[in-house]
Order: sequence, then structure tokens, then C-alpha cells
Amino acid sequence: MNNSSYLDKESKGTQVRTRSYIRLSVSARIGSAVNGLILTVLGFITLYPFWYCLIQSFNSGKDSLKGGIYFWPRVFTLANYQKAFQNPLIVSSFGISITRTLILVIGGCLLTALMAYALTKKTLPGRTGIIFYFYFTTIFSGGFIPTYIVYRQYGLLNNYWVLILPSVYSFFNALILRTFFNTIPESLNESARIDGASEVTIFFRIMLPLSIPVIATVALFIGVGAWNDWFAGAYFLTRRRDLYPAATLLYDLMSQAVFETNPDIAGNVTRNETLMAGQSAATTPESLKMAFLIVLTFPIMCVYPFLQKYFVTGIMVGSIKE
Amino acid sequence: MLSAGTLATRKTSVVHSQSLGMRIRQHWPFYLFLLPAIIWYAVFAYYPMAGLQIAFKKFSNVKGIWGSPWVGLKYFRNFLVDKQFWKFVNNTLAISFSKLLFCFPAPIIMALMLNSVKNRVFKRTIQTVSYLPHFISWVVVVSLVQRFFSQNIGLINDLRLGYGLEPIYFLGQKRLFIPFMVLSDMWKGIGYGSIIYLAALSGIDPTLYEASSIDGANGAQQLWHVTLPGIKATIGIMFLLNIGGLFSVNFEQVLLLQTPPTYDVSEVIDTYILRRGLKMNQFDYAAAISLFRSVLSMLLVVTMNYVSRRVTEVSLW
Repeated sequence: MNNSSYLDKESKGTQVRTRSYIRLSVSARIGSAVNGLILTVLGFITLYPFWYCLIQSFNSGKDSLKGGIYFWPRVFTLANYQKAFQNPLIVSSFGISITRTLILVIGGCLLTALMAYALTKKTLPGRTGIIFYFYFTTIFSGGFIPTYIVYRQYGLLNNYWVLILPSVYSFFNALILRTFFNTIPESLNESARIDGASEVTIFFRIMLPLSIPVIATVALFIGVGAWNDWFAGAYFLTRRRDLYPAATLLYDLMSQAVFETNPDIAGNVTRNETLMAGQSAATTPESLKMAFLIVLTFPIMCVYPFLQKYFVTGIMVGSIKE
Repeated sequence: MLSAGTLATRKTSVVHSQSLGMRIRQHWPFYLFLLPAIIWYAVFAYYPMAGLQIAFKKFSNVKGIWGSPWVGLKYFRNFLVDKQFWKFVNNTLAISFSKLLFCFPAPIIMALMLNSVKNRVFKRTIQTVSYLPHFISWVVVVSLVQRFFSQNIGLINDLRLGYGLEPIYFLGQKRLFIPFMVLSDMWKGIGYGSIIYLAALSGIDPTLYEASSIDGANGAQQLWHVTLPGIKATIGIMFLLNIGGLFSVNFEQVLLLQTPPTYDVSEVIDTYILRRGLKMNQFDYAAAISLFRSVLSMLLVVTMNYVSRRVTEVSLW
């Protein structure tokens, strides 16, 4: 609905501009060409870093050290990917990331949607108080230190569940869902209730099916958040490297690189020896990292363009409520 | 008027004379839906919040949060005269203001540029491409930064060598830290940030453009008199929300981009809390700073929310 009116306006706008072309066609055309050029350059700046890593990941690591590779692999090889997928730590880190993302997307969407649905009920006694109870945590939080102590108390440190439990709910996502649920006419639920449907039935049979686009948006937000988070692994799983999600493992490799390039604080390099052990002549830690980075980024590149239409609406809804 | 559906089959008059207890009983499924959330917020938000009391206690791992002895405002007095602390406050604000200056207007300009593109396929392509970095982890973004600017294998130094120049350790340069923060943030956020302004731009009445061009307005005049006033409210609200976040520098980004040689300019309040607490094992001292910071930023956020609500009301008329 929003979309069609937008297109409508745009086509009208074009008509107007066509008319003014007659008067200032030259300067207008130069302006729009410059505009297009700048946007193209911006697009290039956005994509080139990924392209650069991609060609590095397909190039022999030893050869890359000579430099001079900018647009295309020079010594093409699949060795980096083979090495990466032979490495048990890397493989298991992707396993952890995938299960974490799936559990959080399914569990998080369901629980947040239930919460949001309950909050749409205007007659619910105590509703304002409950909303404030949730909202307050978005403006004030205990911060890292108490959280760390409390997790230790809960037994969550060096425990797989620290990757899941603390990120189940997000008030922002609940707001997006609630705003959408509010647009579904109450009469629909009423008639279902008269037919004897329970609230659970109404939620699963009416609310959820009607809200697929918004659920998809929230699923994207939760999924991307879970897939990208490196912090929980790096700070709460310090003794369980085997439980590192892929993003944390990349952080580990990366902080290693800082140590290596900085002569002041050598030492500490030993940690990566296990990871890089038994590498062939073609691969270097750096080229392996590039392959790893590409594999980590690839799923996101595949998913987000298809949900673009949905998340654009989602953001608007969220920001209106802010 | 209440959940009349279920009651309509019974006596409607009962609705108004219901006791609170009855209304609660009637809504029990909704409380059940909320129950996991209420418990979760208690366990993962409010209980840690209660843990902030160690800011006033001499924390010992054995006695725990509740058992440690009180010391009053000792740590607050300590950090308020700690020169290091103020340096890190200063760093935090320097980064925040630089971001406000450069990263705040960037998406607006981007939206204006996208809005004047007539070719729809080109526009969509640029939009889709520009959203990509938003969905990429900061770990990946900073890996890319390193890949381009590292001393041994970085692309830039590779090019410099080609011209016979000495390689530079860019990420270890103090004066480059803020530019790195600003530019990486801009790269990551410009496209996604423009979404909200594009929405506002599409809401401008097209007849205004028509009328102004009949009156002989050129492109620049239309921009100034039609486009900008049309998105003024959105810009204002986003600006206030940004001000509200001045104390919360994206500390993920700082942690990843800072290197030991740049600690002087790159250490911010949040990373200092982390270092003081975890590395130096001073949970209580770090919690005191954390509490101070949280209260300050809450006040700022609440003020800005209040102001923005007032502003929106005015602009909505």
C-alpha cells in the first residue's frame, strides 16, 4: 500500500522534472550524471573490500605475500578453503554458529511474538506497568561487570548456553511485532473467540500467519545478531575455545594479527599454532583467514537482499515508536 | 467495550462491574504469554542491575554480591579524582562528537542523492548494495580494515611499496584512530541509515514540486524550500536520538580497532570498565564507573526522548 503510493508520487515527480528539462536540460543532466557517478563510486567502495578478500581467498597464500593482487586471483587455488574445512576448530565453530542462530531465531521469534501479542491487549490489567518493566531495561542496564559476576553465579561462564539465553528477548523487536499486531483488526480475533478458539489457537492460526512479513524482519534481525556476535564468545567462553562461534574465532585470529604486526608485544603467538598446524605451502594464516571471512559473510549476503522489502518496513515501524 | 466477545454470549452488563481479580483471571492466557519474558527480564536484566550495588561495596569473590561489606562512596571519590578516568571521558566525547559531525549528515546526503535518481533499477541496486555492510559483523568489518591497512600485507602499504615508500603501521597511529572510527562507522552505516530519510522523502507531497517548478524554482531552490523542510522533523528527531547516545560509543568497534600504541586516544569509558574489571580484577571500582556512566546516559536519553516528543508534537500540529 505504501509502495504503490510511493511509485505514484515518483511518476508524477518525473513528469514535472521532464518539463523542467526543457529549460535547464544541460545543467540538470550534468547534475544527475555527477549524482549517478558518486553513487556508483560509493557502491564500489562498499563492495570492493569484499571482492578483494574473495580474490585473496582464491589465491595462493604464499603468492599473495608478494602483493600486487587487486582485481583477480593470480595463482588460483582452492587450498585455502580445503584447509579451512579440514580444520576441526573452524568446522565446529560454524556448527556452533549455525545451531545458535537457528535456536535463537525460532525460540526468539516465538517468545517475542507471544510477548508482543499479549501487549496488544488493551484491557490487560497492569499492561502499562509491564511495558515500563520491559522498556526501562533499554535505557538503564547493569553493564558488563555485574553481568559477568551474575553469569558466573548462574554457571553460564564457559557454558554453551551463554550464547543462547542472554539474547532471547529484545524489546525493540517486540515493539516492531506489537505495532504490526495492532493493525490486525480485533474483530477477527473476536469472531474466532465466539467460535470457541482459545488464545493459543488465535495466536498460531490468525496472528502468526497474518504477520509473516514482520516475523521475517524480526527473524532477520535476530539471526544476523546471533550470527555476527563475537563478544559473548570472547568474554564468557574464555576457557572453552571449542565452543567459540565462528565470529569469535575470527576475532581470535584477528587479534592475533595485531600482535604479530606490532613488534612491541610479541609473544602470545603460540595460541594460533594449533590452528595453523600442518598448512601446505600454498596457504598462510592470512589467506586461510580470508577464506574463513568469506564463508562467514556469505550466508548474510545470500539472505538479506530477499528480506529487504520487509526490513525497510520494520525499521520505519520501529523508528516511529522510538 | 472490553473483551466483549467472550462475554457477549453471557451478560454484557457484567463487564463494567467486574472486579480486578476477575479481569485478571479472564486474561490469564495473556499473562501466560508474558510470563517467560517477565522471568527472563528479571534474571538477565534486573538481577544484574541489582548487582550494581557492588559499586558501594568491597567486592570479594567469596562473599559475593550480597555478602560483601559496604564501603560507601569510596570508589566514586577515587575515580572522580582519577586523571586517567577523565582522559577516557574526554576520548569518549571526542569520538562521539566526531561521529555526530560526520556520520550523522552522511545518510541524509545519501538519501537526497538516491532520491534524485530517476532510473529505478540503478536506484534499487545501489540501495541493496549500500545496506550490506550494516548486516556484517564488526569483527568482519575490522578484519577488512586490517587487511587494507596492515603493515605487512595491507593493500595500502602494498601500493606504497610500489611507489618506493616506506610501509606505515596505520592502525598504530594515534592521530588516525578517530578517522578510522568515523570512516568505518560511515562505511557500515550510511546506506542503512538513509532508509529512514528515504521514507520521509517519499512522504513529501509531489504537488509541491510541481507548484514550485511552475513558479520557476530550480533544483537547488526546490531542495532548500521543498525537500529539506519536508524531512526537517525526521532529521531533528534523529539528531536528538544521536545526542542521547553521546556517552555510549560503540564499544565493540573500539575494542576491535584499538591497538596498544593508540590506547592513549582510543580507550573509552566502556573499554576502561572492561579492563579495570576483568584484567585488573577490580570489579567494585569498575562497577562504580559503570553506574556513573549508566545514570548519566540514562538522563541524557530520557531528556532527549522528552524533547523529541515535544518536537514531534509541534511539527505534527
